Amino acid sequence: MKQVLNNVLLRRFLISVAILAVLAVMTGPSGSTLTPTAGFTGSFAEHSSFFGFFETIRWVSFLFLAVVFFVVWTVWLSWGDRIKSGVNRAVSAPRAATQKRPIRWGIAAVLIFVALILPRVVTDPFWQAAMVEQIAVYVLLAIGLNVVVGFAGLLDLGFVAFYAIGAYTTAWVTGALPTPALFGIHMDPFFAIPIAILIAMLAGIILGAPTLRLRGDYLAIVTLGFGEIITIFANNLYGITGGSQGTALIPHFSLHIGPIKYLWGLKPVPYYYLTLIFVVLFLAAFSLLEHSRVGRSWTAIREDEVAAESVGINPLKYKVMAFAIGASTAGFAGVVTASQSNNIFPSSFTLSFSINILVLVIFGGMGSIFGVVLGAMIIQTASMYLLHSPPSGYQSSDLYIYLGALLVVMMIFRPAGLVPSRRRRREIVLSEAGEGHMDEVLTGDQP
Amino acid sequence: MSDDKIFDVDSVTLRFGGVISLNDVSLHQNRGEILAVIGPNGAGKTSLFNSLTGVYQPQEGNITFLGRDAKPISIIGKKAHRVSAAGVARTFQASRMFSALTAFENVKIGAESHKGIGVVGAMLKGPATRRGEKASDAKTIELLDFVGLSHRANVVSASLSYGDRRRLEIARGLATDPQVLLLDEPAAGTNPSEKVQLTDLIRKVRDVMGVSILLIEHDMKLVMSLAERLYVLNFGSVIAEGTPQEIRANDAVIEAYLGSAVDETKGA
Repeated sequence: MKQVLNNVLLRRFLISVAILAVLAVMTGPSGSTLTPTAGFTGSFAEHSSFFGFFETIRWVSFLFLAVVFFVVWTVWLSWGDRIKSGVNRAVSAPRAATQKRPIRWGIAAVLIFVALILPRVVTDPFWQAAMVEQIAVYVLLAIGLNVVVGFAGLLDLGFVAFYAIGAYTTAWVTGALPTPALFGIHMDPFFAIPIAILIAMLAGIILGAPTLRLRGDYLAIVTLGFGEIITIFANNLYGITGGSQGTALIPHFSLHIGPIKYLWGLKPVPYYYLTLIFVVLFLAAFSLLEHSRVGRSWTAIREDEVAAESVGINPLKYKVMAFAIGASTAGFAGVVTASQSNNIFPSSFTLSFSINILVLVIFGGMGSIFGVVLGAMIIQTASMYLLHSPPSGYQSSDLYIYLGALLVVMMIFRPAGLVPSRRRRREIVLSEAGEGHMDEVLTGDQP
Repeated sequence: MSDDKIFDVDSVTLRFGGVISLNDVSLHQNRGEILAVIGPNGAGKTSLFNSLTGVYQPQEGNITFLGRDAKPISIIGKKAHRVSAAGVARTFQASRMFSALTAFENVKIGAESHKGIGVVGAMLKGPATRRGEKASDAKTIELLDFVGLSHRANVVSASLSYGDRRRLEIARGLATDPQVLLLDEPAAGTNPSEKVQLTDLIRKVRDVMGVSILLIEHDMKLVMSLAERLYVLNFGSVIAEGTPQEIRANDAVIEAYLGSAVDETKGA
């Protein structure tokens, strides 16, 4: 047995079969309490179509995929380096070109133009709604979390808390909570924008100032707890937040400046444009921030906090700042969601929401603004596609299985993300070579 | 007499649990002096550095730093970034660069760290921000030139040689406009010709920039040629103080480094 397994090719083939078997189970039907094993047996024995060609049994399709996987794997092992260097050579010229300023502006202009005409092209109401609720808002959240996780290197697992704070602030300001509204007037959601940003920012500072002294894992746990606290508050403070029943009707945005009157109604497209404006503003501000003194200081702290402090950077101040900026972005996203969806419920602000945003950032490339935007769009579009036209056996709760698998694959083959930031890519190369990222607190010869 | 002092360390004791790292250490440095602290491994040299720069907080004693305008500042109880702002710069034993940043960016971070933060300014990139960037750029270029690294400005710092990293660390420290520069084993891992260049550079920092130098070093040749005065630490205590000539002839120092004759006969 041992000798058989020592055969490299055979071992590789068995691993391929095992991986595809897992995939078969992941995509297969679910069992029930009466038939607990139905999920497993069904995953292999159910009838299905062979990629649309002919009727077959599931295991045949997956065995075929396992063979394909095995062949690709073997080819990659013997030819991979050549393919990689070929691809690198092919993209080096376009990559160098994107570093030039006029070309960058040109690309940005094209992208904005595409974003502007998109609602004309995509007319399916499902997708128009998804573009606002699931894509634009998530892009916003992802670039906000990117400041915290990507720029400052702080693992925040309670990002949803600031989103919830933004949403509930909107409800409060517009008078949709059981508590009396701010100043006793029911204001337009537009006024909620600065107030929500401010309150979310304050919450970020209040949470950050004492906890950002913690390192790594400890900070992650504290933020995790904070996220849960906010959800539980929203759920249990019945008299203040409306509890699990959610809020009363939150009005849509409306504009009354002199002769101009406009109401953002039930249609998603006006919301799309409104969110787009803010996404572009946040993107511009954050990319300037990345290449400013603040961005460099964040990188310095992330790389070596002791050294950063020795040249006069106050790590706590910069970390709190990153936290506050991230929080205010989430707060703003909360305003948009609250006003657009009219009602908010505590059940939408869960831990898995925070994780979802984190996945977008990690997938896109921590610290890379373009990567994070692209990653958020790809993942959200894919998950919306799965929701809209699910393949057979797909349930919406399966999404996290796929996201998890995707992240595992990403971490193995492209650990710095889809479009890695230049600094992060260097860090990963360095840490693989055993240099850089010295996380130990103390320096030098210890007694 | 206290006018010409820059550091005054008065009976400092630093403990980690039951382990005494610095035991009643008193020493001082004069302004403009190249002072060295030597001692065997584990003598507490780096602990002393970390206490002087606010990384460690000693339990007893006082550390007074007489920085700009000779205004006395107590180091104990201050965070490391405040100590840096007061005018104390340092390098690390195993050089600690921001490895994924270029040499230029490393020094620039030092040059701009003491200005206000200005997030809003950075997001809007207004004229004041632009001016600040320009000033930091100019200072960075000047300092890279000073340490002889201008030709490597855009190299990622992790790919610099050991000797170059040491120079870069010195430039980064100098960028914070220090009064005193603390060098923790600057010659470790450098080759003989780099050592000579480094000695010249350290002397130049003092002579041209007027920055006092406090040095930890194991390389006796370098220490003896560079330092004007030395302290010898052993087991967390100062066992000797004097000029290089005096130290070379000091029995206690010879014993600390070579072990006493009595011990050897006992051990045999």
